Amino acid sequence: MAKHETPLLDQLETGPWPSFVTDIKRQAETKPECWDILGILELSYKERITHWKHGGIVGVFGYGGGIVGRYADMPKEFPGVEHFHTVRVAQPSSKYYSTKNLRQLMDLWEKYGSGMTNFHGSTGDIILLGTRTENLEPFFWDLTHDMKQDLGGSGSNLRTPANCIGQSRCEWSCYDTEEACYHLTMHYQDEIHRPAFPYKFKFKFSGCPNDCVAAIARSDVSVIGTWRDNIRIDQAAVKEYVADNYPANGGAFSGRDWGAFDIQKEVINLCPTDCMWMEGEELKIDDSECTRCMHCINVMPRALRPGADQGASICVGAKAPILDGAQFSTLIVPFMKIEKENDFEELIDFIETIWDWWMEVGKNRERVGETMQRVGLPTFLKVMGIKPIPQHVKEPRSNPYIFWKEEEVEGGFERDVDEFRRNHAA
Amino acid sequence: MALEIDALKDAIEEKATKSPKPQLYIKDFYKCDPDSKPRVIKNVANEMVREGRLMFWSSGSTTMYGIPSRIQNEEG
Repeated sequence: MAKHETPLLDQLETGPWPSFVTDIKRQAETKPECWDILGILELSYKERITHWKHGGIVGVFGYGGGIVGRYADMPKEFPGVEHFHTVRVAQPSSKYYSTKNLRQLMDLWEKYGSGMTNFHGSTGDIILLGTRTENLEPFFWDLTHDMKQDLGGSGSNLRTPANCIGQSRCEWSCYDTEEACYHLTMHYQDEIHRPAFPYKFKFKFSGCPNDCVAAIARSDVSVIGTWRDNIRIDQAAVKEYVADNYPANGGAFSGRDWGAFDIQKEVINLCPTDCMWMEGEELKIDDSECTRCMHCINVMPRALRPGADQGASICVGAKAPILDGAQFSTLIVPFMKIEKENDFEELIDFIETIWDWWMEVGKNRERVGETMQRVGLPTFLKVMGIKPIPQHVKEPRSNPYIFWKEEEVEGGFERDVDEFRRNHAA
Repeated sequence: MALEIDALKDAIEEKATKSPKPQLYIKDFYKCDPDSKPRVIKNVANEMVREGRLMFWSSGSTTMYGIPSRIQNEEG
């Protein structure tokens, strides 16, 4: 039995798609506080103003992240959402979980929370919506002790690292994303659970340039698998594709008739750098021009594979649109070996160089990508101790001036003017 | 020369007590000791939270620090 009249929300149930309103009504049958979610949302639709207060002081002992305090500003009218805190639970690596684990988690959330969830937040966490302050510690105890799971990151912390399925199931993964993600998660427990930075900081691990965890769009440090030798070609398999004996795209998009496979139209003409061509029945690739777009490999997975000398490109500075709009991360290191044997030392050194600089130079609530934009890429590269390379150049220069530093000029800035004038009359 | 840990804690507490704002960013504490590395100040501030001398306030996306009695308590 509905607790509040919700004519505006009810309208949202009349469309052709599943409605969150229907979901919340169903949940409210067992969790009555959910009626107050609908009530307060209806009021916000009517008054066109939010009735959630901003942030709060909740948390669990010893942690400075993982719980987001949410309070309603009309607790008397909507007591069920007086406290409605969000809990972020770190997702299992690659989001592999068993149904047993999910059932346990949902049982726990029915016991201590509203039972409402978001799967997953953009960082990857399992988001549990709506609990009271007094339930946080018992929930945290059961989660960590009975289920051996942990909270994720929130606030100015290192956010829960995320990775694609990597080499566990994907033949294209150029490094072990799960091992890298797990190692860095354990290495940076303090940064995940206690605030450390001017603002949030994320890293994500994708095994190949298909970038299945959207590292390039979301993470401050994007570790994206790549190779530095040549795409491996099986010419016999190429012939099979050309003869239409192998399904293109691994059989995806097969729901309608696209006609016979046309390698020229579907692969070669779509190469963004025009680096492919046919010589008779053989497919040729000028690998020096390849930008790792993955299109040809995606279309002909049985004929083409990433090269064998594998590692990752490291890009820095992606963010979603809050200030100045969204931006992708910028390529900083074209190739780095990502190896467990040295405990990912090179990657860790790279990350900590960024942190040391950003913690000092970054403004409050400024993502590292915004700091980079503010100081300029040349300054950032200098901080990182990286020599500029052509891949760092985004566009031809528009500023005609070249500013030399004294150490870059032979003889420095101290010159004997008389000596100079002997050959250059005033 | 960087302050000793106890002196740094006192300086942070004084800053958090006297600041017109009840909640401060971690960077606001850097000025308590310009000779200490940001990471040292962060570690000390977090230790003070464990000791109950400071408290976290989080919007969900940003975390700030404050003296517990000065942070507005939403739970009344």
